[in-house]
Amino acid sequence: MSEEILKALTQLFAIITKQDGGVTENERQFVINFFQSELDRDSIKEYLELYDNYSGYSKQGTAEEEDKNKVTSVKDSIKTLGICKKINKTLTQKQKVIVLIKILELVNSDKNFTPQRLEIINTVSTVFNIIKDTFKFIETFVISERIEELNYPDILIADTATVKSADLQKHAHAHIEGSLVFMRVRSVDMYFTKYLGDQSNSLNGFTMQPNRVYLFSHGGTIKTQEGDALYYSDLVRDFNEEIQTTKLSFNANIEEFIFPNGTIGLRDVIVSEGPGKLIGIMGASGAGKTTLLLTLAGLEKPSRGTILINGFNIHTEKSKIRGVIGFVSQDDLLIEELTVYQNLYYNAKLCFANFTEEQLHQRVMNVLENLGLEQRKDLRVGNVLDKKISGGQRKRLNIALELIREPAILFLDEPTSGLSSRDSENVIDLLKELSLKGKLIFVVIHQPSSDIYKMFDKMIIMDTGGFPSYYGNPSRAVTYFKKATHHVDSNRGQCETCGNVNPEQIFNIIEAKVVDEYGQQTNKRKITPSQWHEMYSKQFKVNRVEDVKELPAVALFIPTKLKQIAIFTQRDFLAKFSDKQYMFINLLEAPLLALILAFITKYKSAPGGKEYIFRFNENIPAFMLMSIIVALFMGLTVSAEEIIRDRKILKRESFLNLSWNSYLLSKLNILFLLSAIQTLMFVIVGNLILEIHGMTFPFWLVLFTTSCFANVLGLNISSAFNSAVTVYVLIPLLLIPQMILSGLLFSFEKLNNLISTKGKVPIVADMMASRWAYEAMATYQFKNNEYESSYFEYEKGESQADFNAAYMADELQKRNRFVLENYETKNDSIQKLVSRNLNILYGVLIEEPFKSGLEKINLKEALTLEKYSKETGLLLAAYVEQYRDHYQKIYNHNVSLTEKRMAFDEKHGFKVNVEKNRYHNESLSDLVKNVNTKGRLIEYDGELIQQVNPIFQEPNPDGLMDYRTAFFLPEKNLVGLRISTFIFNILVIWIMSLTFYIALYFEWLRKMVNSFGKVNIPKGN
Amino acid sequence: MRILLITFAAAILTACGSGKKPDEKAFLQSLDSASASGSTIDQEVINSVLQLIPSPLEISVLLKESGSKYDHSLLNSPDNLPTYNSNYKMALNLGIYGTDLGYTNIYEQNQDGIKFLTAIKSLAEGLNIGQFFDIETIGRLASNSKNLDSLLLITTQNFNSINGYLQNQGRSNLSILLLSGGWVEALHLTCDVASKNAKNKELHENIGEQKIILEQIVLLLSFYKDSDENMASLLKDMEELKGAFDKISITYIYKESSMEVVNGVAVIKDNSTTEIQVTDQDIANVKKIINSIRNKIVG
Repeated sequence: MSEEILKALTQLFAIITKQDGGVTENERQFVINFFQSELDRDSIKEYLELYDNYSGYSKQGTAEEEDKNKVTSVKDSIKTLGICKKINKTLTQKQKVIVLIKILELVNSDKNFTPQRLEIINTVSTVFNIIKDTFKFIETFVISERIEELNYPDILIADTATVKSADLQKHAHAHIEGSLVFMRVRSVDMYFTKYLGDQSNSLNGFTMQPNRVYLFSHGGTIKTQEGDALYYSDLVRDFNEEIQTTKLSFNANIEEFIFPNGTIGLRDVIVSEGPGKLIGIMGASGAGKTTLLLTLAGLEKPSRGTILINGFNIHTEKSKIRGVIGFVSQDDLLIEELTVYQNLYYNAKLCFANFTEEQLHQRVMNVLENLGLEQRKDLRVGNVLDKKISGGQRKRLNIALELIREPAILFLDEPTSGLSSRDSENVIDLLKELSLKGKLIFVVIHQPSSDIYKMFDKMIIMDTGGFPSYYGNPSRAVTYFKKATHHVDSNRGQCETCGNVNPEQIFNIIEAKVVDEYGQQTNKRKITPSQWHEMYSKQFKVNRVEDVKELPAVALFIPTKLKQIAIFTQRDFLAKFSDKQYMFINLLEAPLLALILAFITKYKSAPGGKEYIFRFNENIPAFMLMSIIVALFMGLTVSAEEIIRDRKILKRESFLNLSWNSYLLSKLNILFLLSAIQTLMFVIVGNLILEIHGMTFPFWLVLFTTSCFANVLGLNISSAFNSAVTVYVLIPLLLIPQMILSGLLFSFEKLNNLISTKGKVPIVADMMASRWAYEAMATYQFKNNEYESSYFEYEKGESQADFNAAYMADELQKRNRFVLENYETKNDSIQKLVSRNLNILYGVLIEEPFKSGLEKINLKEALTLEKYSKETGLLLAAYVEQYRDHYQKIYNHNVSLTEKRMAFDEKHGFKVNVEKNRYHNESLSDLVKNVNTKGRLIEYDGELIQQVNPIFQEPNPDGLMDYRTAFFLPEKNLVGLRISTFIFNILVIWIMSLTFYIALYFEWLRKMVNSFGKVNIPKGN
Repeated sequence: MRILLITFAAAILTACGSGKKPDEKAFLQSLDSASASGSTIDQEVINSVLQLIPSPLEISVLLKESGSKYDHSLLNSPDNLPTYNSNYKMALNLGIYGTDLGYTNIYEQNQDGIKFLTAIKSLAEGLNIGQFFDIETIGRLASNSKNLDSLLLITTQNFNSINGYLQNQGRSNLSILLLSGGWVEALHLTCDVASKNAKNKELHENIGEQKIILEQIVLLLSFYKDSDENMASLLKDMEELKGAFDKISITYIYKESSMEVVNGVAVIKDNSTTEIQVTDQDIANVKKIINSIRNKIVG
């Protein structure tokens, strides 16, 4: 309390007491008591002097003075107004209520209620904006000494009586002499108490003086002389009507829970509860507390048994009880990068689509206030290493995240672990309060203090091996176990003098060890878990709560899937954006890698080594591969941890039944955006340094596509594995095959025979995004660059005609000659060769558009061993010569077109050589023309395959769906349509991404990994 | 951040800027207007004339025997390779590099030889006759100076077979260019050496003898003067050269043949000689013109 206020109060006190007869000794004493509670010893004197001064205490007694007083009372009224207004400005409504009560008490201390005094008090209450009825109610509570007079619904009497003393009152039973009166001031939600009797009870450890009004605040405890404890939360519950109206039943019957490894986790646990209970679960470590909690919450499925909420099965009727359950795990389920407020805000946003921004804000602020976090709302949550808020605050925030959506049933796993005793008490008190609002709360608790222990309504005690050994009132637990082991003082549950319960005692009894003859403890327990369980089964019959056949009331209003995407994206974006390191590294990585890569591979490439010319940079093919690998790598690393990191949050949100698809799409939104930026920066820097002109967009499109593919792949592994380390170990496993089968490092022609097919890209390589990306980039750069685009068609005609004229014609002639010489042979093996050659001839000719001279014969028949004749042979020989001539002409035509085009271009200011230097790359050209191959034409699998110049070939599909071709063909077959390799390959990668997305959606990989995990390794017994 | 964005935007713009390029349509129109109705040339005739032109490689031997030193600067640098984009240039320079390769081989300059080989291989690829150069074999042979003979042999053979192949494929024009290129380079080398060795009669006469070959080349080129602009312009240059050669007179002096008995075998001996009259001035003229022609081809 500030000095100013205290001074104002002192004045107020003085003004009131000096009216009508002046200050009495009692009143003065009250003031002194008040000062004592607020001030240190030295200041009391000072303020007392002030008080005496104002009230005229020392000058009291003379008649003269009294007369004067009457005159001044009007003045005092005005003064009072002034003071009250001053107070109004600084004190909250709650504090003002306290002040009012203090004043009433002051006057009440001598029962000197003169009209003038009352008038002043009235003025005070009016200025304080306290409603008249409320004021009257408070006044009655303070003044009255008889409980019968207090006939208000907001009054509760605790005493030994069995009936209410007045109709409207509430009543609670307590071992106490006289009665404790509690008052609830509804408008400010405060509770006050006073004691009418002769015993010395204590409030929060301080002795309560009879007929004095005390504020009974959060966590307050009154201990009666007889050892009863009255908790603030108990009181609140008694005042509360909500519990009675909440419809909730929770019936769990877990017959057995078996872990995947075969050991039994829980046996025969029956829990049956209604609304408004705070239930503790205790047990030695490994007793199955957490397992029980998880099972009750429906996160684990019991091997046998059911869990019903309002009669709905928690596992099979999930949709019915959506949002009913809240679970606060032992781990932090916070988004570390966001502030306390943001964590709550986005959570609320996902729960209440029907709220306006204002309502959301209000809701969040309410929860923050309730949990005492409003001061910390703008702090980043941080992580264990980078602490921004304290452990207790983190825990409270975790609880807040669940509380904000007000689930009817709340499960908490050790909410007090790692907290100070003060924080622990706050947390449990909060839970207690919630339970009083009708929530059913299960809490796994470890080593609770006596106070905390006693706050629970019920306690479930688990013993090693998943046996329940106690289920009931916490205080009675001690007596139960003591009795069971025939302790001497088995009736005494708590300390006689202080009323403390020692929960440790319970475990000492349960786990008591047999002592051997030397007095050493052995490992054997006196009473085994199953024996305890037997005893438990005999003693406890759980009364099943009637199933409420009604949908549980849930305030949840889940946003639409589209809206969820937006919320998830926004949240994730904010989290990522606030992580400066993450942003910095991710945005810098790409241009930096491009810089390194391009800088290193740029050299004085021009012949003679005088300058750098793009055309002669032999590193371009390798640079393109590296950029694809970089795109894959960046894409993978950026996404590989995403789901793992979010898994805890996902677990929390699983109770909301949010859309998995929305979540994934939001991830993709952000990752794709990041990929787009990264690859764009990479391409710009790389192309700028290496002087790759006109390729910014196409290269970017390929790399972006590749990176997106890697993003989806990364999310898959991220969803399938449990630790980031595993995932990062996996990255090379995913990347290296991409490198090997990219088509650049190892020629597809020279791969293991098992996988390679001559003339076609192996199927294994078709599964690699890198190969598609590389082909797209290489063919596009070669074919569509500013220079080549003018000549490509002519060169293509040239190349194909030349191939036919120079190689195919020879080959056909050779084979025909062989057949002609040997078709009459009787030798089996030669016959075989002949028919093979005939097949090849047929295969080529049937596809051949040029057929001049062959029109008259039926190729299919003529080119068989049986029908082949000399005439056919000679006809063929003549045909091949024509064929050669035909293609020679086409070739020459195309050559002359090229020449003419070049001359034409030169004439129009297009310097062929300059442009070629700028846009064309020799190494890449050699690569896509496959110039280094030995066999230009080979026979493979009964077909003649052109090995050279794939870039000028056309696809020759066997069917509509045959997409396969050799590497670097400029066009592909897409269901009968011929489209450019660039577009085709990009489509393929997107289809791959889509497939992986479907796999991700259904979590195929995760299921696969899990099914591997389930394989039991037999243990030798 | 904003500055970064602007920089990137600028970078994208500059990266996208492309050169001015005549469009496809204009080219196709130009084709229509100049619908080439080149006279059909009888391949047989061309082939028979081509047979008469000796391989220019043989000249190199003469040069070495003259005692002149290896001069790297006389040759066409392989660094010029990238500037040969049209078939016309490629074929001519393939011939030039072929002669240069022979020259380096005679002087056992393996390092340079490899460079020429690479250039030749590359041009051959460009002309779709790459199959005649197995670069691996050539490289292997070139790595050992003892293999020079076989290397020379292979290369010479290759040139011969290329000529044969091109003629076979109806691409005699390339064959002519190939041979012309080789011939020009040989003449260029000879002239250069000859001008330094004024006393070497053999060299001078050799140059004079080229008059006959030039006539063949002019004849061959003239077949294409209507259908091929490039060849027409080359023909013009060659005709200028022919003008210089016209001053050189070759007189054939006939003498009765005589019969001798050598090792018991009767041999008829041709006693006729040709007399070639070449002045230093002639050599200088030829040199001047041939250099200008070569510069056109090489540059």
